[in-house]
Amino acid sequence: MNAIEVHGLRKTYPGGVEAVRGIDFDVAPGEVFGLLGPNGAGKSTTIGMLTTTVAPTAGSARLGGFDVSREPLEARRISSVVFQDPVVDRALTGRRNLELHARLWRVEPAAAHARIGELIDVLGLGGLVDRTVSTYSGGERRRLEIARALVSAPRVLFLDEPTVGLDPRVRHELLDVIAGLRERSEMTILLTTHYLDEAERLCDRIAIVHAGNIVALDTPRALLDGLGNELVELRVEGEPEAALAVLRAERIAGDDAFSVGSTLTVPLRGHGAAEALALIGGLGLGQTLTTRRPTLDDVYLRLTGDRLAAAA
Amino acid sequence: MTAIAPTLPLSRRRAPMAGLAPLATLARRRFQLTTRTPRELVVPLLTPIMFALVIAPALKEALHASISYESFVAVGTIGLLIPLNTMFAGLGVIVDRESGAQRELLAAPVPRALLVVGNLLVALATTALQVVVLIGAARARGIEFDASAVHIWWFIGAATLFAIGMYGTAETLASRVPKQEEYIARVPAIAILPWFLAGALFPITALPTFLHWVSRCLPLTHGLALMRYGLLGDSSGLHAIWGMSDPTAMAALSLGVVALFATALMAVSIRVFTRAAMR
Repeated sequence: MNAIEVHGLRKTYPGGVEAVRGIDFDVAPGEVFGLLGPNGAGKSTTIGMLTTTVAPTAGSARLGGFDVSREPLEARRISSVVFQDPVVDRALTGRRNLELHARLWRVEPAAAHARIGELIDVLGLGGLVDRTVSTYSGGERRRLEIARALVSAPRVLFLDEPTVGLDPRVRHELLDVIAGLRERSEMTILLTTHYLDEAERLCDRIAIVHAGNIVALDTPRALLDGLGNELVELRVEGEPEAALAVLRAERIAGDDAFSVGSTLTVPLRGHGAAEALALIGGLGLGQTLTTRRPTLDDVYLRLTGDRLAAAA
Repeated sequence: MTAIAPTLPLSRRRAPMAGLAPLATLARRRFQLTTRTPRELVVPLLTPIMFALVIAPALKEALHASISYESFVAVGTIGLLIPLNTMFAGLGVIVDRESGAQRELLAAPVPRALLVVGNLLVALATTALQVVVLIGAARARGIEFDASAVHIWWFIGAATLFAIGMYGTAETLASRVPKQEEYIARVPAIAILPWFLAGALFPITALPTFLHWVSRCLPLTHGLALMRYGLLGDSSGLHAIWGMSDPTAMAALSLGVVALFATALMAVSIRVFTRAAMR
């Protein structure tokens, strides 16, 4: 049985805003699955429906076999969520927040005590956990929230933009923590992010989300392989579509080449980088020529016509 | 920081009274949050104590009223204390939603109605504490009460049911308004305005006929009449509402009105909260 099953899931908010437009995906037990897309793509709404805080307009979703609409308590019992914004009792200590989660998820006191002790060590909360949360920095609070979500040993863990708003050092530390969670083979993780490196580093598979739709779903490697090993980027002076047509006629570019504004991106097929640069230079099309390895941003750009970083 | 070691699934509690455990946890959480903000306990007490201990004796002197007027107003101020305290308690719901752990609670495997009931239990406990403090302060000031072992239950029933209804009102309002500022702006109309019409400072028979009818429809009027019946043995407030001769029958009718108010407002508050929780 899949840990997460989503079929035809759709959400239209009052006022007609279609946040999620009928998405399908399955996540296997132990898999780390990423929803990659800019703000407003529908990622958080999808997590909201899976955690039963957003009512689906249509479609179905199951966590561990439990239908989130018909069996919400069972679905919530096997899952935990780390929210995008801080969601903690700031007036209470970190330990009290952890204990509260354990009680609400009905973890046996002895098991909860041991588990909290383990998580305090693992997440480096030893010096913090008996202070009130209002004194924590953003990174410390986020570590506490991750620890809290793990207290009940969930079968499914939702991480909604877990590193957003954190400084680079803290973000790097948290990525290490989340990468460490992969060691728990029995835990399935659904992660939303608009950071490409995060998705590429952490996820077994990625669904690229754009305007409420999943436009691609595969492993990071397979998504990148779709653009070959290397690509050429050039800025053209005239009409980019005309320049692209010339490159295709010369068999330098294939169907997977694309233009955004005055920039052409051409995955190299059957040409070495030096050969392609020489051929393109000979045509006199480009002002600036560069070659580089493809990134998930190129995948996103090709699929949506938008740069992920700019859209985020 | 290191990777988390694999662990076996944790054992879950299966106690006979397991259904009450989440409610106790939620109430305990709310209690801990409340005790960390002592102003929530103290501020609602200030105005009623001022009325009971300062303004009522001053009015008695100025109007040459009898000693029982102080007792009359002391019970009347409970009708101000309960709405003020429950409305303050409702603010906690907005704080939870804006900057607290409400979404974590909504993602927890507990029925969402329990979140409202857990808050209610703490609001009732703090209200009870404040009522005891107010009565104790009034007694210390020399104000007399005349409660029998039987009549006191009318007082307890009326105060409890009225507090439940008022907390339902507070929770409903907190679920419907987006900001604390908007919530606070509505508090005087809900918590204070009815107090002037409900016979807190003078019998409702002193009101013009139209307002007298309005007053008889207010749950607070029934609550105050019952509380005076319970704490002072004075059934004149009940008579002013019902016009009957049997105090017990009138008290039962008024208790029914307050119970209806409590049931309806709690049902509405749970419905509004659970609907607001689902976007």
